[in-house]
Amino acid sequence: MSWQRRVFSTMGTVASITFDSMSPNGADLRAVRAAFDHFDATYSLYKPDSELSLIASHVLELGDASVEVRHTYAEALEWRAATQGEFSPHRPDGVIDLSGIVKALAMNAAGTELANMGATNWCLNVGGDILVSGLDDKVEPWAVGITDPFDRGELLTTATLSGSRRACATSGSAERGDHIWTIGAAPTQFVQATVVADDIVTADVLATAIIAGGPTALDHSCANWSIDVLTIDKEGEIRMTPGFAMHVPSEP
Amino acid sequence: MRIRAVLGSVLGSVTVLVIGWQAGAAAAHTAAAGAATESSATSPSAATDPTSSPADTPTSTSKPTSSATAAPPAGSASSSAGATGTYVGSTIETPFGPMQVEIVVSKGKITDVKALKLTDQGGRSVEISNYAAPILRSEVLAAQSANVSTVGGATYTSEGYLNSLQSALDKAHL
Repeated sequence: MSWQRRVFSTMGTVASITFDSMSPNGADLRAVRAAFDHFDATYSLYKPDSELSLIASHVLELGDASVEVRHTYAEALEWRAATQGEFSPHRPDGVIDLSGIVKALAMNAAGTELANMGATNWCLNVGGDILVSGLDDKVEPWAVGITDPFDRGELLTTATLSGSRRACATSGSAERGDHIWTIGAAPTQFVQATVVADDIVTADVLATAIIAGGPTALDHSCANWSIDVLTIDKEGEIRMTPGFAMHVPSEP
Repeated sequence: MRIRAVLGSVLGSVTVLVIGWQAGAAAAHTAAAGAATESSATSPSAATDPTSSPADTPTSTSKPTSSATAAPPAGSASSSAGATGTYVGSTIETPFGPMQVEIVVSKGKITDVKALKLTDQGGRSVEISNYAAPILRSEVLAAQSANVSTVGGATYTSEGYLNSLQSALDKAHL
């Protein structure tokens, strides 16, 4: 099996893809990159001509937006309801900002393209959020190092992704917290939250909700979704669900 | 009164379930139902205060004592006044799904209350203790030495990537 790695900029961050190139066109990641480009071109508020920018500037009415954009907005609203408002697709100024969900949707689409081109074992890392399939180059479950928010050159711990647990998303208040708004005056208690789940949208949205909503959101998320969570707060205290502890490898 | 005082320190929802367990004694059932209704409509502290529940007040002076010494429905210990043992309550429907609790009794006093099972609407079994609990940093640091394929962290920008561990990992493999 031959392994390849591709790194490219997209959606304001960097994507790193490691994959086994089983198929003849395995090295061609055009379809994968196109999936990211589509989501970026449609939803980025940094691109003045994106559909979402046109909605934000009132050039386009939401009702006249494409079916896809309206569907994505509806999905984000469902997450807002499910997380009791801890996750929100609205900026404080009222602008619809779907960046909290779009990157995860793009990762799902990219994963579908990787499968289409014949790759069964791959790891997709986009800006620190991770979606995997199969096993790594050592035929072991994919091992994800979790960054220490107090020392970004160090790892806090390791989480292995196996079985149905294919996704790992991390949110933090220290770096690029631009899509996270705390509720009311409640201070953000956690500086970083990592959520392992079966799908990347659930992991990403709930990691965001836990940073925004604090301990209340943490308890609510753990009680209502099948997720494994690791948090670290301002004092450096680490919290872990029993399920997350199962992902941490014991010493050899 | 002692039992209710102990229960008062437990979370509201669990308290209601334990009162439900006490309902093995038929006479206590009405009071338990009254307390349960009260707790869902008001704050947990109100529900665990015997004097605030109209249904509870007439029996609060004598019932707790009698239910403490009555043989529990699933109990295996003796029914003497100084009962000691572990008792598993029957499964009770809650807004969060079926739930069952276990209590540890020592000489007639409840010393521990554990949730045995709680199943949500999706059929997934969870435990109350499934909430994230504090752990020692050394416990996770020990796992660091494992080889990692990729690095997860709070979303970084393209600039942030340059200084990230993922960037170093990518460089090492490209």
